[in-house]
Amino acid sequence: MATATVKKVLAIAHSPRIFQTLMYKWVVTLYRIFAILTLYAVLIGVLAYGFVMGFYATNTSWAAPVILSPADDKSLDFTQKLVTSKQSLEDITLDKKRLESSISEMTLHRASLLALEPELQAAIAREKIHARATGPQLSQLDQQKQADNVKTQGVIAQVKEVEASIDKDLAAGLITKGDAATQHVALNQAQNSFTDSRINEVLLTDNVLEKTTTGTRSLDVLDKQAELRSEIAQLDIALSLAEKQIREESQQIDRLKKALATAKQTPHYLSVSGGSKIYFAFVPYDNQSSVSVGAPVYDCYLNMVACRKVGTVKQIFTGEEHAIHPIFRSDMRGFLIQMDLDHPESAKSKTVFLNRKPLFF
Amino acid sequence: MALGLIWLIMFLCLLISIIKYTLGAILKWSVPGAKVKKDYAYQPTVSVILPCYNEGKAVYEAIESLSRSNYPNHKFEVIAQDDCSVDDSYQWMLQAQRDFTNIRVTVDRNAVNSGKARSVCNALRHSSAEIVVSVDSDCIFDPEAIRELTACFSEPKIGAVGGRVGVRNPNEGAITAIQTFIYYAAFHLYKVPENWTRSVGCISGCLFAIRRELLLKIEPVVRGRHWFGIPVNQGEDRFMTHLALLEGYGTYVNNDALCWTTVPATLGQLFKQQLRWRQSILRDLFFTLKTLPQHVFKLHPNAVLHLVLTPLGAVVALLMALTMLTGDPMAWAGPSPLVVYLFIAAVLAWSIRKYSAKETVKNPLALGAYAAWWLVSNLFITPLALCTMDSRDWGTRSKEQEASLGHSNS
Repeated sequence: MATATVKKVLAIAHSPRIFQTLMYKWVVTLYRIFAILTLYAVLIGVLAYGFVMGFYATNTSWAAPVILSPADDKSLDFTQKLVTSKQSLEDITLDKKRLESSISEMTLHRASLLALEPELQAAIAREKIHARATGPQLSQLDQQKQADNVKTQGVIAQVKEVEASIDKDLAAGLITKGDAATQHVALNQAQNSFTDSRINEVLLTDNVLEKTTTGTRSLDVLDKQAELRSEIAQLDIALSLAEKQIREESQQIDRLKKALATAKQTPHYLSVSGGSKIYFAFVPYDNQSSVSVGAPVYDCYLNMVACRKVGTVKQIFTGEEHAIHPIFRSDMRGFLIQMDLDHPESAKSKTVFLNRKPLFF
Repeated sequence: MALGLIWLIMFLCLLISIIKYTLGAILKWSVPGAKVKKDYAYQPTVSVILPCYNEGKAVYEAIESLSRSNYPNHKFEVIAQDDCSVDDSYQWMLQAQRDFTNIRVTVDRNAVNSGKARSVCNALRHSSAEIVVSVDSDCIFDPEAIRELTACFSEPKIGAVGGRVGVRNPNEGAITAIQTFIYYAAFHLYKVPENWTRSVGCISGCLFAIRRELLLKIEPVVRGRHWFGIPVNQGEDRFMTHLALLEGYGTYVNNDALCWTTVPATLGQLFKQQLRWRQSILRDLFFTLKTLPQHVFKLHPNAVLHLVLTPLGAVVALLMALTMLTGDPMAWAGPSPLVVYLFIAAVLAWSIRKYSAKETVKNPLALGAYAAWWLVSNLFITPLALCTMDSRDWGTRSKEQEASLGHSNS
């Protein structure tokens, strides 16, 4: 005895109605038409797929249009490096100018110091000549002064006896007090004069010593001379260092300028600076032979047929780029080209063809 | 939305496959309950039905191997049912009937070519046994096979039991080597979680045992099965298993019940076989979807899940292959799938060598070619199967062969 489930299935399975038979026939006929169409579609799809695969495996003139966005990682990185390089260039240029200014100041200062040197030498020479001339005279006068002082000292020794006789004369009433005071003042004046004379003698001896030997003043002058020379030497060193630094910075500036010039020739710079109206395409190395400046660019329907010329190759960039194969999705090495497109919508095509139409139509 | 749904289904199918293989390995070695408690003392009467169409001498060899069965001879019989073969199959059947007198062999012939399912049903009228075993006429059977099958019926809720199908020609080429791995993994891992809940979705028609009363219940449905009026002659094994489950019975595969089949050795043969199987899978999917509420309310969730997702996987695999070819055409040939396949090949080759030495594959690296076959299988076979649901082919023998055999006979 069949259960409820089987009965239900039986009900579906057994339906001996004429209408049902006709309906089945219709369904089967429609199904067969649909199936034949589907299978042909599958067959065409498979053949087309195989053909596309074979085509892209053998074709050597295709390129993949690339839209470089200023906001993509590579462009952002490039922009950042560009800004940094420009900033470095400006900093180094400014530093170089500062150094150059500093060098000119140091050169002037050095020249003025160098000009002092002969004047100082001349002054020293003049003093030496003068000392040689006046030194012996002073020495002679010093000796004479000493001799005079010796004599005066002998006279002063007698003053004490005169003082005693004045006092005796005053006591004896031979002279008045006024006369005695006048005589004492005179004696004191004589003693003071002697003392002054002794002082002058010592000073003269000093002068003689200075004129005839190397004294501290001479040493001071020599010290000043040494300082002057040292300052000049230091300036020479500073100048040398500054000049060296200027040379290095000049080289660095040259390098940065070259790097910036090279960067300005890259697609990323053009993309960043040129906006969206600059069109690029990736060309794998295998297709390099099809690329030349001025070569026509073709865009095709279904990526390979009914092609039309849409522009020309404007520039070829030498830097290596990596991209994904538009069909095989494998990594590829190649380079970018800039295209001059009359039909900007072709920049959005999966592939374009360079130099020739891929299937000659 | 639709794309998201497709990806979700694809993900679920992949997930369930991985889970099934992993769970299969775990259950196989650590959960005794996953296996039926076999009772060898239980020895019901058995009819082995052997439907045949253009198998030639193979049918004789099949009966010969059955005659060597260890099952008590008085308790089983062989009913060979010829489906109007145009070769000498019928003569070989009669020859076997004469030669193997230790067992009872009944030979019968359909009035018209009816297909395998109806041949089984026709043969049933000669049988009165408690257990009916339907077999493929090109297989060789292990002497223990019938005993192993009947021992599982000691569990009263078991309605149908299948055996394991081994490969007779594992080293005929890369194609047979790949199939050896797939057959082995399918029986020893993939079906184990289904065994656990006694809800195997497809018992192979090579060795399919079923309770008589259950077969009688579903026989009208099997006999009347059609696709918009066109009789369906393929996939009766999957359909019968499915009906057994819907009838509330358990289904089980006993890997100790062995039979051996010769698997396709050329791409053409393999393509035809896989197309037939894919048609069967798709029919089963449509049947499941049509009666989904019954499935949900009557079957174990595990059964519903694999009955829906396993065949659905075949459909979404087509989408997966298309996505792969249009998105990343070279991915299938990349090192990753190859390494995965080679790793699986190493593990399976070791297991087969250890546990089934007869099937030892001499060149396990051949499984690496499965990457290419997977692509062909999912890209071409599924759409072709979907577009040839009106096929009336018997299955194992094509119309061309039929014609050529008929011509040579005449």
